[in-house]
Amino acid sequence: MIRGLWNRETVALLLLAAYLPLALFWLRHGGTEALARLGLAVLVVAIWHLVFMLARAQAPSLSALITALAIAMLAPEGLGVFRMTLGISFGVVMGELVFGGWGRNVVNPATVSLSFLGFGFPAFAWPGFDDPVAWAAIPAALIGMATGIMPAALLAGAAVVGAAASLAGLLPEPVLLAAGVALVLLLADPVTSATTALGRWLNGALYGALVVLFSAGWTGAAPVQVAVAAALLASLAAPLLDDAALALWIAARKRRHGRT
Amino acid sequence: MGFLGTGAGLAPHFPSPPDSPDVFDVITEEAAVCPPVGRALHVAPLVQEGDRVSQGGAVACLRHSPEIKFVAPIAGHVASIVLLPGRHLSEIVIYREDGDAVERHDTELAHSVAGLRRLMQSAGVWQWVRRRPFGGMPSADETPAAIVVMATDTRPGAPDPRHALDGREEDLSLGLAALARLTDGPVMVCAQGDRSPSWPALPNGRARLAVRGRRHPQGSAGICIHHLCPAGIEAPVWDLHAEDTAALGALLRTGMLPMTRLVRIAGAALIEGHSVRTHPGADLRQLTRRIVAPGQHVLMSGSPLDGHVARWLAPRHRQITVMPRAPARPGRHWLVAALDTSTRGAPAIPTAALTQALGAALPAAPFIRALGAGDEETAMRLGILSLLEEDLALADYVLSEGGHLKAQLRAMLDRIQAEFAP
Repeated sequence: MIRGLWNRETVALLLLAAYLPLALFWLRHGGTEALARLGLAVLVVAIWHLVFMLARAQAPSLSALITALAIAMLAPEGLGVFRMTLGISFGVVMGELVFGGWGRNVVNPATVSLSFLGFGFPAFAWPGFDDPVAWAAIPAALIGMATGIMPAALLAGAAVVGAAASLAGLLPEPVLLAAGVALVLLLADPVTSATTALGRWLNGALYGALVVLFSAGWTGAAPVQVAVAAALLASLAAPLLDDAALALWIAARKRRHGRT
Repeated sequence: MGFLGTGAGLAPHFPSPPDSPDVFDVITEEAAVCPPVGRALHVAPLVQEGDRVSQGGAVACLRHSPEIKFVAPIAGHVASIVLLPGRHLSEIVIYREDGDAVERHDTELAHSVAGLRRLMQSAGVWQWVRRRPFGGMPSADETPAAIVVMATDTRPGAPDPRHALDGREEDLSLGLAALARLTDGPVMVCAQGDRSPSWPALPNGRARLAVRGRRHPQGSAGICIHHLCPAGIEAPVWDLHAEDTAALGALLRTGMLPMTRLVRIAGAALIEGHSVRTHPGADLRQLTRRIVAPGQHVLMSGSPLDGHVARWLAPRHRQITVMPRAPARPGRHWLVAALDTSTRGAPAIPTAALTQALGAALPAAPFIRALGAGDEETAMRLGILSLLEEDLALADYVLSEGGHLKAQLRAMLDRIQAEFAP
């Protein structure tokens, strides 16, 4: 039996390759502390994947590394080992593994973890990003779009709204940078974002609109907090947007052919 | 690369040595009458072992509609009749004998539509027609909502139908005119628009030319049907290869059904590729005898994507693939096996590769998810009724599913047929 290339682990590996510029710049600017956070996140996520492999015969996936990277980059600072472990465990188990692993989940486990940590421990400060780290999100997105593993329409939809809001002066620069990083790390996951072309445009645009809304109306929120909240809501809305896009597609075909 | 889906698709590459330029006519020493791929058919043999048959002579008929006949692809005597339990046809093997006895049919019949059907059924053209939904040949009295004639084939290693049709424009026009009498709907001719603009003028207003791209699966019948005139449970759509349409035209013109068709032999285990004109049910071993490289190999009827290991060329196939036999893998450690496989398999990730593997013709990720979840109603709304296994073969290959996707599609089609079909 001959087989092609695009199974789940190939996509996970390509996503890792796409995130490499972002991760390297972040590690270079964050130093040892960043490395320790990443190590802790990888360890906790990997242990949960191993537990689910042994208990539920669920094949582990390299996407664990992507989840760990996103959590380590965006989680609030100074949480300590216990709180971090609690937050990561909640996100990875309830957000991904109980649904059957990467590919069957409905929300990004990193988004769930980050929301849990943000709402659970509001006293801790959210991280900020140096300019070079945030700019490294652009090559990550380009690699992702060129290999077809990140939804180009979603990134474009978010970019259009983001650019319009920046021109109108609605988006302060720190929010723009944090929203860009969260867009690439959290929302551009091919599994949990919308899957139809129209749904992806809407999903990206919705994320951009939510970021603008929160940054204007949510007083006292840190830029990363705004981005994570917008990513959570946008990814929860993805199935709805997909359903709307499918209904339109089916209606258009019915009109054209008389049947689907 | 075009826009709006005309450039959609992939160009999977399977290594094959260069073709030799000569095209020979080959009638193999042995040939077999086999059922079309996929469906078990109850048959009643009309000959006995040892009987002589002429080319095109009936050797068996369907048990429940005896007007649909299976015909001998070569003239000779019947060597063996193999029926599986329940009178399912396995194969009827014929040994060739010298002489050119060819069955003649009365073309006067074809003046009426019912007579045309009877002629197609008794001459053996009927089993070259395939219906959707659910696949297989149409029942004897079915009227299609549309007929799609495939003058393009984008499967890797497929012969170009235009070469097969060289000099047969008149027969093709006759065949298309005959097909137009079988349906009240359109007759679509799917052809590649970028090779030569000199496509023969279509005979009447009923037949329409649909231009398709050159990447797979744009020349796949199911994707064309999904795009042009989707099949429904109450609206079956037939598809027929352009070369078979020309054969139908020749049958109407001369009373004799030409059996030879252009077949390409390709694959990595060959010394050189070949194109031959041979007949359905040809012996693959004889066709590949002097061109196979030393070493173990697998003979497949059909393309590398959707073919199956076989001894005889299947009725609708126009490709023979010769692949090196993969060496048996030693057993793996249980932990390694647990790490990369599990009972449920990994789900498909919606990427651009998946979208293109279905030719960007339908929302790929929702469709694959509906297949995996067993959600028949969503799958029907997204167009599963126009598709068969061969249309998903590229997606199955690209996603490295190893046949799961095709099996899921067949299981769902069978369930839909049991639940929804009258």
